[in-house]
Amino acid sequence: MPLNLSQPKRKNAISLTPLIDVVFILLLFFMLTSTFVPWRLVDTPLSVAADQQKPLEEKANLILTLKHNDDQVWVNDQVIRFSDQSRFHALIEEHNEGVFIIQADAGVTLQTLMHLADRLKLNGAKTVSIANAFAMPETK
Amino acid sequence: MKIGAKYAARNTSSDDNMVPLINVVFLMLVFFMVAGQIQKADPIAVIPPQSVNDNRAETDPNIEIVLGADNSLYVDDVLFVMDDVQAYLEKQFAATVDKDTFWVQIKADGAISLEKLRPVFNQVRLAGLTKVSLATQLERGNE
Repeated sequence: MPLNLSQPKRKNAISLTPLIDVVFILLLFFMLTSTFVPWRLVDTPLSVAADQQKPLEEKANLILTLKHNDDQVWVNDQVIRFSDQSRFHALIEEHNEGVFIIQADAGVTLQTLMHLADRLKLNGAKTVSIANAFAMPETK
Repeated sequence: MKIGAKYAARNTSSDDNMVPLINVVFLMLVFFMVAGQIQKADPIAVIPPQSVNDNRAETDPNIEIVLGADNSLYVDDVLFVMDDVQAYLEKQFAATVDKDTFWVQIKADGAISLEKLRPVFNQVRLAGLTKVSLATQLERGNE
């Protein structure tokens, strides 16, 4: 039987297919593991004792109460819409020496709270306290 | 024909037509390597509330509490019952050498209501910890 000993013709270039295999795997790894939205942080310092829920009661402090997720906030029994820039501006001008304390009723979401805090900050409020919204309601 | 002969000659090396593909794939690879950040995945998917706040963490949190939209609570990637959190926090705090920089990160879904979040903060407060940060993501565009 004739044995075919002729060598297959060698290619003069290295095949690129294994390289592409590896590069694809690397690409998949980086696509799946990388995140483009780094987390930001809002500090919410807590008072140690559970009964210190009311921070220093000063006249300048302003308490804003969220009742629903309807982009409205209650201040001194008045409703202010989040979109009402001029009202916010006036309010902040008036009370900027104190702390803007945000409180929330049941059902208000974290996102709504953040929207209000943003709104206050964007209109120039110096100190906004959201920690009160996380305080447990007083036990009676 | 001249052109036909030219293309026939090129096709003898079958890998040649892969070069543009490799170019593109390499570019994508470099993009994802440079632009992306690799970080530990959360135990459950959480969509943090959006905020204009742009503070970033300087150090890694000592304890990470994740509260999902389905109210499941994970502390350091372990499923927890609310009442056990205080004891765990106290234990971790006692075991830490550098107590001044000890801080707790709370990652909560933006859609959960605040009364679900209150017990978590209460547990942290009962454990005597005061440095707590809430995770948000940067709001873009529409402002």
